Amino acid sequence: MKDFIKVSPLKVLEKSSQKGLGRGNLGVLMARAGVGKTACLIHIAFDKLFRKEKLVHVSLEDVPEKITSYYNVIFYDLVKALNIEDEHEVRMLFERNRMILAYLQQSFEIKRLRENLKNLVEKIDFVPDALIVDGLDFEKAERNVFEGFKEIAEQFRVEMWFSARTHRHITDVNERGIPYPCHELDDLFNIIIQLQPTQSGIVLKLLKDHGVEVSPEASVKLDPNTFLVMSE
Amino acid sequence: MDDIQKLRNIGISAHIDSGKTTLTERILYYTQRIFAIHEVKGKDGVGAKMDSMELEKERGITISSAATHCEWDDHKINVIDTPGHVDFTIEVERSLRVLDGSILVLCAVGGVQSQSMTVDRQMNRYRVPRLAFVNKCDRSGANPYRVVNQLRERLNHNAVLMQIPVGLEGDFSGVVDLVSMKAVYFDGEYGEIVRTEEIPSPLLDEANARREELLDAASMFSDALTEAILEERVSEGLISQAVRKGSLLRQLTPVFIGSAYKNIGVQPLLDAVNQYLPSPTEVENFALNLDQGQAEVKLSSNPDDPLVALAFKLEVTRYGQLTHLRIYQGSIGKGDDLINVRDRKKIKVGRLVRMHADEMEDITRAVAGDIVALFGVDCFSGDTFTDGRLNYSMSSIFVPEPVISLTISPADHKSQTNVSKALNRFVKEDPTFRSHVDQESGETIISGMGELHLEIYVERMKREFGADVMTGIPQVAYREAISRRAEFDYLHKKQTGGSGQYGRVGGYMEPSDDNVYEFVNQVKGGAIPTEFMPAVDKAFQSCLKEGLLIGFPVLGMRVVVNDGQFHAVDSSERAFNYAAIGAFKQSYLKAKPVILEPVMKVSVECPSEFQGNVMASINQRRGLIVSSAEDGVFTTVEAEVPLAEMFGYATTLRSLTQGKAEFTMEFSRYSKAPAAVAEELKAEFRDRVKKGKK
Repeated sequence: MKDFIKVSPLKVLEKSSQKGLGRGNLGVLMARAGVGKTACLIHIAFDKLFRKEKLVHVSLEDVPEKITSYYNVIFYDLVKALNIEDEHEVRMLFERNRMILAYLQQSFEIKRLRENLKNLVEKIDFVPDALIVDGLDFEKAERNVFEGFKEIAEQFRVEMWFSARTHRHITDVNERGIPYPCHELDDLFNIIIQLQPTQSGIVLKLLKDHGVEVSPEASVKLDPNTFLVMSE
Repeated sequence: MDDIQKLRNIGISAHIDSGKTTLTERILYYTQRIFAIHEVKGKDGVGAKMDSMELEKERGITISSAATHCEWDDHKINVIDTPGHVDFTIEVERSLRVLDGSILVLCAVGGVQSQSMTVDRQMNRYRVPRLAFVNKCDRSGANPYRVVNQLRERLNHNAVLMQIPVGLEGDFSGVVDLVSMKAVYFDGEYGEIVRTEEIPSPLLDEANARREELLDAASMFSDALTEAILEERVSEGLISQAVRKGSLLRQLTPVFIGSAYKNIGVQPLLDAVNQYLPSPTEVENFALNLDQGQAEVKLSSNPDDPLVALAFKLEVTRYGQLTHLRIYQGSIGKGDDLINVRDRKKIKVGRLVRMHADEMEDITRAVAGDIVALFGVDCFSGDTFTDGRLNYSMSSIFVPEPVISLTISPADHKSQTNVSKALNRFVKEDPTFRSHVDQESGETIISGMGELHLEIYVERMKREFGADVMTGIPQVAYREAISRRAEFDYLHKKQTGGSGQYGRVGGYMEPSDDNVYEFVNQVKGGAIPTEFMPAVDKAFQSCLKEGLLIGFPVLGMRVVVNDGQFHAVDSSERAFNYAAIGAFKQSYLKAKPVILEPVMKVSVECPSEFQGNVMASINQRRGLIVSSAEDGVFTTVEAEVPLAEMFGYATTLRSLTQGKAEFTMEFSRYSKAPAAVAEELKAEFRDRVKKGKK
């Protein structure tokens, strides 16, 4: 799956100071509704899965069937785009290494997530390398929830990716250039990436890079159909 | 259409022993469908009316979904007695399918028990609006307030009390209606005289407080009620309309209380059925249009539209087969011609009856929304009937292949004939249940979708048909499949003495993409005369019935025959048949066959605190956990588990979760069995062959 890793959205992190997010850290993708946050998160998930890492997809909105079908659709696109020949084996691999935890009807609590991860590790020997958290409402969630996630990332030594929705009409930006709704939480995130739709594709722009100054070239352009990096 | 508005198709669902059969019996009594009351475990040996199966009578539980019709306050009510046990999946699915609303019966002492959770979740799955009835308020330890809290906390219901009790336990004597703010008592030998009084003064404060709660909850569904509350001009009508709206949206659960056994609170519950549960026109029903690739189409519930009806239950009576039907659209009259969509056969409606448990009333016409029964119609349960104008089916035509088999043998001579009667019946009732006689051993083999599925039928054979059977060890339906291409070139030649046999078949076999058998004739130049090719094809197909690895059927393959030879005199169909069988045997093992095992999609629902234990139990069974979803109180763990590992899982799960979890499973796919399992199966097969030879 070398081909995928070359064109994965996570390629943007090659331009970051530490070449990645790193275990124990939080990263977030920010974009307006409909730009493709979830698709991009799932591409990040595939990046991890194709590296044979174990991944937990935490959904606060959708039922597992919907998430599974989302992965299937994206996988189908990847099979076509990357000419994956051993489709069956690759599918088996990612299904074995992916776990979906869904918290429906506002049932999410940090302590439940911690308990569920503990169960995965202790009861079925599923030791995650990364977590994808989709559907968390950044505008409603209190700071202590993010602190809870940070503690979990450190406790389980996982890197954790979130998606956050921005709004066209809310233009608040903090002094470090981080827009609403992450402008008061950026100290908890090591990597902050913004997805910006342009006429020729979606630009992934690095806004925060582990506390070091972000290089002006730290961006990649994604094909809006496949969410894969477009050749420069 | 007015009539349909006043029709209710309801189920009564509950935990075993919370008194639903007694409640049903009282409903039938007050609606004057019966004129005496018998208890479920009655000493008079008559038993309650809805329990038409012997097994149920004996156990005091209800398995079968017998339907009965009654009338209350100008409304017609069809009561479908839904099974409360998770094992009876087909029955549950079918009965829930035909319901428009339901009464969830809860025990005032036991409260929300694990099975109440099960039935409630089934109702959620089918989007059935429901009322709750807290029964057994006369029992020691009864506390309806606690049960309402449990409804909220354990089942996530927006439950609201519509009544409060007058007295409790031994002093339970009536209810206070929080809508009319009157106390209601039930006089007469069987509580048939309803007496309304002022609220006893000691209960007034409690009643006012609970009414406030009711108004708060109901006003969420009605701006008119909110305004009326502010202006202090609340009417009974406004409250009822708001509660009805909330109930139909499944966002409010009105709770009623009583004691069916002591004849308290049943009549107000019947009023509530009419008032707060939907008519068939208020429920959306869908069919599959078979002319348009099974596209989903909404049905109209208009009696003048073309007919669509579903046969949801079959019953054997001494007069023949009785078919329970729910009419979704159109109407059925005596003498009408109906088309069974499954086989396009035409049937004539001879007798059309309305059922009252195991008694019946002849009628001449029934319309959309109604539940009736036909006599003497030969069909399967789940069949859809139309008047021929539409090609709709109420259920998918897809029937999964059985994944487990069991040998059965009659315990005595008398059972022998009864077994075949029972099997004939079950096969018609349940498309996932099959039976056949093994040609070699002469044993009868039944097949189905799981261990419990077959156990239930074995039990029913005994109870309903008096057929005592002995059963073998459950056998998983393994399959074989080749994994690579292999060439064959086989000559069958027998030219010594008598008429000769000669045929040579050359070509190759290879795995097919979708496991479908495909025979390709690429013979050129008449190497094998065309007239012998069907025999070659047939011979290969016959070989697929029993693989050479473990003796199980072989999933499809592509067989290409591209060469051969014949003899002008000695070649025959028979000779080429033998040649093809030889070719199969020659190449099959070279094609590296593998053993495939059925993998089930397993879904376990449990209180969230047991999530870890449930996951561990699946992991121990070679299961792959796909997801875990929490919705407050419950967690659903989805996994894929080989069927062979699922034997006895019900017992394991019960002990792991204090009986609070349930699981369902269905066939997902065939998957390559791990080497250790495959070796074991091969060794067993070798033993079997050896024994057979001896």
